Amino acid sequence: MERIVKANDREYNEKFQYADNRIHTSKYNILTFLPINLFEQFQRVANAYFLCLLILQLIPEISSLTWFTTIVPLVLVITMTAVKDATDDYFRHKSDNQVNNRQSEVLIDSKLQNEKWMNVKVGDIIKLENNQFVAADLLLLSSSEPHGLCYVETAELDGETNLKVRHALSVTSELGADINRLARFDGIVVCEAPNNKLDKFMGILSWKDSKHSLNNEKIILRGCILRNTSWCFGMVIFAGPDTKLMQNSGKTKFKRTSIDRLMNTLVLWIFGFLICLGIILAIGNSIWESQIGDQFRTFLFWNEGEKSSVFSGFLTFWSYIIILNTVVPISLYVSVEVIRLGHSYFINWDRKMYYSRKATPAEARTTTLNEELGQIEYIFSDKTGTLTQNIMTFKRCSINGRIYGEVPDDLDQKTEITQEKEPVDFLVKSQADREFQFFDHNLMESIKMGDPKVHEFLRVLALCHTVMSEENSAGELIYQVQSPDEGALVTAARNFGFIFKSRTPETITIEELGTLVTYQLLAFLDFNNTRKRMSVIVRNPEGQIKLYSKGADTILFEKLHPSNEVLLSLTSDHLSEFAGEGLRTLAIAHRDLDDKYFKEWHKMLEDANAATEERDERIAGLYEEIERDLTLLGATAVEDKLQEGVIETVTSLSLANIKIWVLTGDKQETAINIGYACNMLTDDMNDVFVIAGNNAVEVREELRKAKENLSGQNRNVSNGHVVCEKKQQLELDSIVEETVTGDYALIINGHSLAHALESDVKSDLLELACMCKTVVCCRVTPLQKAQVVELVKKYRNAVTLAIGDGANDVSMIKSAHIGVGISGQEGLQAVLASDYSFAQFRYLQRLLLVHGRWSYFRMCKFLCYFFYKNFAFTLVHFWFGFFCGFSAQIALDTSYWTFINHVFIWGSIAIYFSILFTMHSNGIFGIFPNQFPFVGNARHSLTQKCIWLVILLTTVASVLPVVVFRFLKVNLYPTLSDQIRRWQKAQKKARPPSSRRPRTRRSSSRRSGYAFAHQEGYGELITSGKNMRAKNPPPTSGLEKTHYNSTSWIENLCKKTTDTVSSFGQDKTVKL
Amino acid sequence: MEETPQHCLSRLPDNSALKQQELPAHRLYFTARRVLFVFFTTGIFCLCMGIILILSARSTQEIEINYTRICANCAKLRENASNFDKECTCSIPFYLSGKMMGNVYMYYKLYGFYQNLYRYVRSRSNRQLVGKDVKAVEDCAPFKMSDNKTPIVPCGAIANSMFNDTIILSHNINSSVQIKVPMLKSGLTWWTDKYVKFQNPSSKNLADEFRGTTKPPNWPKPIYDLDKKDPRNNGFLNDDFIVWMRAAAFPTFKKLYGRLNRTHHFIEGLPAGNYSFNITYNFPVTRFQGEKSVVLSTLTWCGGNSLFLGLAYTVTGAITWLASFAMMAIHITLKNKQMSFFHQ
Repeated sequence: MERIVKANDREYNEKFQYADNRIHTSKYNILTFLPINLFEQFQRVANAYFLCLLILQLIPEISSLTWFTTIVPLVLVITMTAVKDATDDYFRHKSDNQVNNRQSEVLIDSKLQNEKWMNVKVGDIIKLENNQFVAADLLLLSSSEPHGLCYVETAELDGETNLKVRHALSVTSELGADINRLARFDGIVVCEAPNNKLDKFMGILSWKDSKHSLNNEKIILRGCILRNTSWCFGMVIFAGPDTKLMQNSGKTKFKRTSIDRLMNTLVLWIFGFLICLGIILAIGNSIWESQIGDQFRTFLFWNEGEKSSVFSGFLTFWSYIIILNTVVPISLYVSVEVIRLGHSYFINWDRKMYYSRKATPAEARTTTLNEELGQIEYIFSDKTGTLTQNIMTFKRCSINGRIYGEVPDDLDQKTEITQEKEPVDFLVKSQADREFQFFDHNLMESIKMGDPKVHEFLRVLALCHTVMSEENSAGELIYQVQSPDEGALVTAARNFGFIFKSRTPETITIEELGTLVTYQLLAFLDFNNTRKRMSVIVRNPEGQIKLYSKGADTILFEKLHPSNEVLLSLTSDHLSEFAGEGLRTLAIAHRDLDDKYFKEWHKMLEDANAATEERDERIAGLYEEIERDLTLLGATAVEDKLQEGVIETVTSLSLANIKIWVLTGDKQETAINIGYACNMLTDDMNDVFVIAGNNAVEVREELRKAKENLSGQNRNVSNGHVVCEKKQQLELDSIVEETVTGDYALIINGHSLAHALESDVKSDLLELACMCKTVVCCRVTPLQKAQVVELVKKYRNAVTLAIGDGANDVSMIKSAHIGVGISGQEGLQAVLASDYSFAQFRYLQRLLLVHGRWSYFRMCKFLCYFFYKNFAFTLVHFWFGFFCGFSAQIALDTSYWTFINHVFIWGSIAIYFSILFTMHSNGIFGIFPNQFPFVGNARHSLTQKCIWLVILLTTVASVLPVVVFRFLKVNLYPTLSDQIRRWQKAQKKARPPSSRRPRTRRSSSRRSGYAFAHQEGYGELITSGKNMRAKNPPPTSGLEKTHYNSTSWIENLCKKTTDTVSSFGQDKTVKL
Repeated sequence: MEETPQHCLSRLPDNSALKQQELPAHRLYFTARRVLFVFFTTGIFCLCMGIILILSARSTQEIEINYTRICANCAKLRENASNFDKECTCSIPFYLSGKMMGNVYMYYKLYGFYQNLYRYVRSRSNRQLVGKDVKAVEDCAPFKMSDNKTPIVPCGAIANSMFNDTIILSHNINSSVQIKVPMLKSGLTWWTDKYVKFQNPSSKNLADEFRGTTKPPNWPKPIYDLDKKDPRNNGFLNDDFIVWMRAAAFPTFKKLYGRLNRTHHFIEGLPAGNYSFNITYNFPVTRFQGEKSVVLSTLTWCGGNSLFLGLAYTVTGAITWLASFAMMAIHITLKNKQMSFFHQ
């Protein structure tokens, strides 16, 4: 299946009947509502059962109760559900309409016209402006930026907030904003069918007799936001439901709780039981009719001919089914729904889940899942926006062996100090970022004193990065950052007086304490995953060549000059301290380079760049070569700010034996760092397994190794891929799981996960993951998130909860048993798809441990009582059957029982009796002598002393055994809460409650990741100058400027991304 | 989507105890002291109650005479429905060894008569019985209309099968002198039945009111002719009829037939001596293998002479005591164990 789209030719594209850009998330329209909704409702066992009962009751021969005792509650139940469904669907219609009616500029008849989103067709060319949402999946044609570049934010798709670069084909980018030329554009795109892979696109553009291959870099997906690009043109490839965003959104499933399922099975069992009762009574009736009833005909003959006793038994069977139907009462379902609705209101009303800063109360959007909240075993959490605030702040640093930044002597008092203390007055106030605050005045003093090391340190921060600067209309300096980490560092340097002003491909201009200094950028040693560091080589105005480097401490410390040993150990201590506070650390170093040495090295680098074979390896070797004998300057500590109370919440949830998995689109390092920061990963863990294989075999091996490691040497797993052993293994491992002692963690990235989710490795993954205390999945697509959830749901039989804030979490939220959306953010998709929403991750604790638990308890109590009540009430009729010749005469009056159950407050004895007395009153008998023949019954029976004595005795005989049972249980087998209660009582008696123990500080060893969430390749982007504005024309090439072929960087960039993509694709085909 | 701070106040949930789930709650905590106290007192109460009930039940006197077999010839006669117009009487002498003090009640008791059959219970017309519309017979199948389509009054299976034996109790002071024991036929029914549920049509002459209807097939005489001596005891207001119409819940039941009129000789009750029941035997029971008997009984505050309630109370009390002793033993041993555990 492939798709052919011709630009600007609606007629041509209509032949293929592609979906238009209208989206439907709603289920019904006005006409289809009634039939579809009724059909859905009667699929529920209970509703169908009561419909059958109703039909039975309409047959006068067997009807022992009047028909309205069933139809009234049935209609009530069905109307209630239908009204609820209708309102839900109404809101979906509303939000659909809102999205469908957004405006976008479409090129129609050689003119730009405003058009609603829903009227955008495949093949149209549309114009996007800065900060607009993308209306459909587009092929980028041209943009305001040079070379057809444009920047998009993909937060809705993958949760990453850093900007991504997209660039148009050079042939199309020449079209620019020329409407006439764009209108004449008639290229034909042949591409893959709609799918849900966000990072993959394959297609060919044929235009002007030449073909151009298209990949993901040329596509802007629906759901993205255009940033830093004043306009761009794109051609619609996929629209509406075919877009990758919608393809990723997953199906809405009807969610049920385990109590629902239990109830359904119970109802089935009880139904079986009912049939048994009916059969027994029917047989009894047949026997009675032939033995005794025959002779009783004098007083009561059958009026239409002779009827056999067998036939009478048959009728009796159905009559008893109707009479005894109250063992499976319809009011059960109504009452359960009402109780759940009440619990939902308790959630909505809870002030402890109200976030005052955003004025967002918690909201139970689905009212039917409350008790399931108490049964959660697995939580799948998104990272960005859920666990973290996605705000990076420069917290502390260590320069030349001295720590700057606030020293938290006690974690509890830290916040108070922060409030009391005056933030530092920055040197250049006008240029400082207002949101940045720093509380240690010593650093400022050191800068003023002119400490050269401090200056050099800040210079590194201001020079060694990939940030782009821009001035907004108010003349303020704005930084465009690819990763928030770098943003934090550059902003910190800026506020301390080392202001990064602007850059060209050859120069970097910074303002050092008021004076403008321009550095020549000689080389840019870009970041990648193995190097875990980034360096720049610059020539300062004095003519010195310097290498400035920042990177992961573990890597950088190996590159230091031996003379740094003292400083190294000191800085190491500081790094450990930073790590203990959950900060992200980076080491900073520099090196003075000899002019001659650099020239030689640079020559070699150019050679390597020109080489065709082993180019990357040679470049890497050269980088290694120059980044040595560094002089350590210090270290930075950046805080990836967690949401409030995340650590406490995670701790208490894991105390409750709930496993928390982090599923994030972010990088591995970032994810691990957050894992440590939230206390999900600790250094006390016995082992942390990292699965990062690139193909199925590697992944399999890594999983196996990890498993062997975990289960110890006594179990030797055979090396082969014997599938038939799997099941056995699964059983074995589930035993092992119980016996695994110690904490383990598993970290797996998206590529490996794709392989691991394939059928035969799946069980391995699951076993391993379930044995681990913490699981972190990084770089996962929205659909993979859902797949992981499905995996656990399916094979673990556990109740799962997914929590997230963005559109990339929607599929996970939908597939988990319970989906929670973080509300109060920009995007609404997650909230709309969720069952519960609130503003902060920490409210999860209250939702699960308080509301969920109470809900579950209450529901259990209610169900127990309800079944007991119905059995007690109904079995009387069974018993009475033995006395009344099994003739289906009722011993107690049931006709108003259901009525009372529903309309009045359940259990209200006062109302019960008032109804009773009314129905037994003279007045009502006078009006309906046939319907209410109970007059006098209650009055006369309740005046007999005997009756009261019997009631008293029954009460005593029923209550006392329960008291005995409870008493003995508390004494002999006390539960945990009993013990705690007893302990509390003893404590209260002994002495007033002691003050809480002081909290121990978290201890954590040092760890450092180069956690920049940016991609490799930005270095080349900068040095090539392709992302610079045309108004900054690249100056004539500098003396020793690294010079690349002007198109090579784009190709390199493309190659790198497509390499990974295609290798990924190949593996896939090999596997298949 | 767009949050405005003005909404802050309105969106903050109320701080009421109900909404915050902070209503005062009480949880029963089963301390040994409380539980044992409750058990001992309940035990004592039940035992006392049981003893009182047994004693009072024992103080009642009851005589039951089953006359199904004694009047065998009559029974035989009644088995054949065609002999309905032949009268059959039967006299049953018996000796009352002790005198029956106080109010004495006379009952008839039927065995194996299913007044609780579903179709039987339904087969009546309350609308007719309340006197509003004597021709309302819809619910009375299979006894709605006679063969010539006149509505039956009172219709239905219950009314048709009304107990129609006449029982007269006589005191034989000596072999020659027999006194008929005076029995009251009033006050046998519930007040509501007599004054609400059953009403005669308003007219003075009952026979006029019931014109155009017919008597039930089993009845020898129409409803307005039930009691020739007392005109107020006729029609739907006949006490025997009302008593019968209140269908019994079990196949074995007794219904009140009369109560002793405590005058003259019987002012204190029934003196000891020879008595006899003179029974006009009309009601066939042998056909459905049922039995019937006549019962004389006195009552106390807690009903008749049934020992069940008293025994149940006594047993419950005893078990409660046993349970409380057992619990006490368990509690003490556990406590000792815990103490020794702490001392270690």
